[in-house]
Amino acid sequence: MTEVLNGLATGFGVAFTPFNLMLVAFGCFAGTLIGALPGIGPINGVAILLPIAYGLGFPPESALILLAGIYYGAEFGGRISSILLNVPGDAGAVMTTLDGNPMARRGEAGRALSISAVASFIGGTVAVVLMTLFGPLLAKFAVAFTPSDYVALMVFAFASLASLVGANPVKTLVGATMGLMLATIGVDANTGVSRYTFGVPDLLAGIDFLIVVIGLFGMAELFHLVEQQATGKLKTLPVDSSFVKFADLAFAKWTILRSSLIGFVIGVLPGTGASVASAVTYGTEKRLAGTSGDFGNGDVRGLCAPEAANNAAATGAMVPMLTLGIPGSGTTAILLGALLMFNIQPGPLLFTQHPEIAWGLIASMYLGNIALLVINLPLVGLFARMLTLPQHYLTPLIAVLAFIGIYSIVGNPFDLFLIIALGIFGWILRKLDFSLAPVILGFVLGSLFENNLRRALSISGGDWGILLQSWQSILLYALAIAVVFVPIILGRRRKAKHV
Amino acid sequence: MADRIFAGVMLVVTLAYGWLAFTAISAPFQYDPLGPESWPRILSVVTALCFAIIILRPDTPSMNVARPTWIRLSIMVVLLIAYAELYERLGFIIATFLFGTLAARMLGATWARAALFGAIAGVVGFLLCVELLELNLPRGLLDF
Repeated sequence: MTEVLNGLATGFGVAFTPFNLMLVAFGCFAGTLIGALPGIGPINGVAILLPIAYGLGFPPESALILLAGIYYGAEFGGRISSILLNVPGDAGAVMTTLDGNPMARRGEAGRALSISAVASFIGGTVAVVLMTLFGPLLAKFAVAFTPSDYVALMVFAFASLASLVGANPVKTLVGATMGLMLATIGVDANTGVSRYTFGVPDLLAGIDFLIVVIGLFGMAELFHLVEQQATGKLKTLPVDSSFVKFADLAFAKWTILRSSLIGFVIGVLPGTGASVASAVTYGTEKRLAGTSGDFGNGDVRGLCAPEAANNAAATGAMVPMLTLGIPGSGTTAILLGALLMFNIQPGPLLFTQHPEIAWGLIASMYLGNIALLVINLPLVGLFARMLTLPQHYLTPLIAVLAFIGIYSIVGNPFDLFLIIALGIFGWILRKLDFSLAPVILGFVLGSLFENNLRRALSISGGDWGILLQSWQSILLYALAIAVVFVPIILGRRRKAKHV
Repeated sequence: MADRIFAGVMLVVTLAYGWLAFTAISAPFQYDPLGPESWPRILSVVTALCFAIIILRPDTPSMNVARPTWIRLSIMVVLLIAYAELYERLGFIIATFLFGTLAARMLGATWARAALFGAIAGVVGFLLCVELLELNLPRGLLDF
């Protein structure tokens, strides 16, 4: 416990420097803005701004504090367009439309926005507290992980990814393996043999992480927006002056707490993020409320559950990233890649080797959640006005930002063509219902997965039995099998019941 | 159908990837039981199987993009390629002005507003990034 307190003290020391405080505030503000804009979610926002943040030459903890602020800020802001436009800002805010928009249509937009802001704040804060308590414990546990345990952990991560993300598990799996394949390009660190470089010197160090991220997310998002443009003008509902009432919060307090906890746990699971968390908690609350609820027509609980959950999940997803080096969601995969760009290997040793990064980030999130609440309650009118920002300016702006990011870091105009090509590829993947998050997860985890497998086998002299020799790995394989088969069995049973 | 075409193309790519893993990649000597070729081999087999499954059981029948949208997307791609091509030659300000104006106009802004947007994006973007944030952007023709 003293260790946690010492860590927090270090962290607040980092977070309270004027520069980092400014970055927290700016990240939260920019994040809310990005989240509020319909269509651009946290993952695209972080992807587009990552190279610029990297190019500014900040120390790693400051860059991470800024990017993380944008990430959970966007999760916070996603509710604004859900409520006012009935268009979710991103996948995590889909469930918020169900009860948030009916409230706004009843003329209670102010009440819906402020209740959801408080629910988001509580979700985020509960999750940071849990992260503070359990993160270091998990890291301490993971320090003893052998390479074969890591292999098992990867298998579990990809298994939960395949069964929880997207409608078609095969497409999710193939997304992950495409990412893993991309990661094999370049010189093999163990033997010095170059793989898939075709004699191109630029490829020896592998494909640049920034190019993959900007191409697959930023540029693909741009094409997506161009495509959506035809659907006509969006009309926002007016924000009235009604505000959160204490009675509302008292009524929804158990919903908020339950959803925060569930959201956190789902967020910690590798591969799943805010969208799964908000859907699960919405379903849970609806079932618990039974006939007493008015879900779908503006029930306060239906608004609070997904909002508390998606913010808790966004924070929860950072736990495996910081402690195990395995991201919990697509956006944290980008944050992990950002740390790798700074030559910092996230993982169990991060808390001891780079306490200023691990603890600085955690402390900044306490401040960030407060900042978000403070920014969001009075400024909601401003963000609402941002929703009417015409898409025909927003879309080219993404290209300008993406080009600035790539050019200012890499300085090679050839890469600009590369991101356009990757953007087209990413757009096609999206159109065909492949989710992009597994690709980036596979790409980021590729070398970790391969190296641990090879290390494990060289320890055992080529005996594959080593993969099943510790109880941790057996447990992880069992969990992996469970996450793949339990949903299938439950689905079958449900079907059998209905027939 | 769209699924099948895409998966078919990607299957060919995967098979080429796998073929290289099985034939071309090898270390002159190694101590590991698993050489640099084993991991790509495993990946190529798994990926090829996945694409084969998608070809057999596709679930997205079409891209569902209307013809005018295709045209708009193609124009956007052309604009982006031109933007990339001219980025260094004309410099950030002029290239961004041209791209911003044409792209905003194509997406529905009036000429005057599109040009204003392009000018602001170019000039303010440049000043903000180069002067304030000290990022590296091409000056091109306006090299002074």
